[in-house]
Amino acid sequence: MASDRRTDLDELLACPACDRLHRRLALAVGESADCVRCGHPVQTARADTLDRSLAASIACLILLVMSVALPFLSLSRAGIGSQISVLDAFGALWASDFRWLGVLTLALIVVLPVLRLVLLVYVLLPLRRARATGQRTRTAFRWALMLEPWAMADIFMVGVAISLFKIGTVARLHIGLAFWALLAAIGVSFYLARVLCRDTVWQRLAAEGADAVRDDPDRRT
Amino acid sequence: MIDKASSGISARQVGLMRCGACGTMHRRGERVICRLCGARLHSRTPHGLQRVWAFLLLGALAYVPAMMLPVMSTRSLATRSEDTIISGVLELADQGSYGVAAIIFVASICIPIIKFIVIAALASSLQRDWAMSQSARHRLHRLTELIGRWSMIDVFVVAVLTALIQLGTFITITPGRGIEAFALAVIFTMLAASSLDPRLFWDHDTDGSARTR
Repeated sequence: MASDRRTDLDELLACPACDRLHRRLALAVGESADCVRCGHPVQTARADTLDRSLAASIACLILLVMSVALPFLSLSRAGIGSQISVLDAFGALWASDFRWLGVLTLALIVVLPVLRLVLLVYVLLPLRRARATGQRTRTAFRWALMLEPWAMADIFMVGVAISLFKIGTVARLHIGLAFWALLAAIGVSFYLARVLCRDTVWQRLAAEGADAVRDDPDRRT
Repeated sequence: MIDKASSGISARQVGLMRCGACGTMHRRGERVICRLCGARLHSRTPHGLQRVWAFLLLGALAYVPAMMLPVMSTRSLATRSEDTIISGVLELADQGSYGVAAIIFVASICIPIIKFIVIAALASSLQRDWAMSQSARHRLHRLTELIGRWSMIDVFVVAVLTALIQLGTFITITPGRGIEAFALAVIFTMLAASSLDPRLFWDHDTDGSARTR
């Protein structure tokens, strides 16, 4: 009885932007469906989403780690040089007594993007290998989606470009490997945003974790 | 999608609700958390408009010192100068760097002000039943969500410059208190935009009942 009611609900979907009720369609790979009322996408079926998203997440993660570990920029003026990594942007703010701002910067450009990618790999890897997933995997995917607007490496790079421009006249600048790594990471993360299909992943998670749902004590009341 | 009707019924009207995180459908009042992803379920963001106004007010309050206080001070051997966001833009324009000046002007001044006005207008339109078309409100709301994060540019500029210009005796750059206020203003307006539930725009037309506040 309970499972019949659940199947009913699974044939329906509501637009996230206007709550218009729709019947779920069987989309072919590559198709998407928009809300008839507000035009917001309500259903997508992107091609090869597990493979592509997993590959992009891992690549992006490696590039991000490189961009933190390697020298980002170096600067020389009258024989005196200084070299900074991304972590120094945090260190300099911390040392100038702007501690929470340093923590915020570090969180937005390193910690949250890395956390988001680790969560994505944690979700996508077992799905792709058709291993069983549980509630923890689904919570992880929810968090990965929630972190998306707070990962600001792309905006940081625009900030870096402007900084370079501002001091280009004062000193000679050398761009380090980490700079290119971060630029590549942003490119890959744009690709990731295009290939990651939330719908497909949620449906796979729902199918894989069907047992966990039935065991949920909340469900029995 | 199947029905051709341009308005149609909302999930709320037939006693259903969509999980905001994963999209799974539920019967209203049946469960507190989503059976698939474990997120807390709401038909509409609870106290949505109150939250919007609270975050917007905090953002506007933080934006005042963000504009008045210096965001960066530059010290060389003989001189010391302090820049606010506005004086920084003007200086860049003076030097002929109109492109960079325009980017900072748009990101730090235009976008926050546009966001304050648009979010306040959208929230008021819901509370006072202003005549504004749903699709216009829908598009404005999408816009505020998309552009908000780009205001952080100036914070990162100050962070990078502070880290980079540590040449000791010749020239040093230190952040000013204004940039903290500015970062807060950006974060609060991002939270205000995400607290505004766009589904409220469509409730009024189709729903005879009172709106959830």
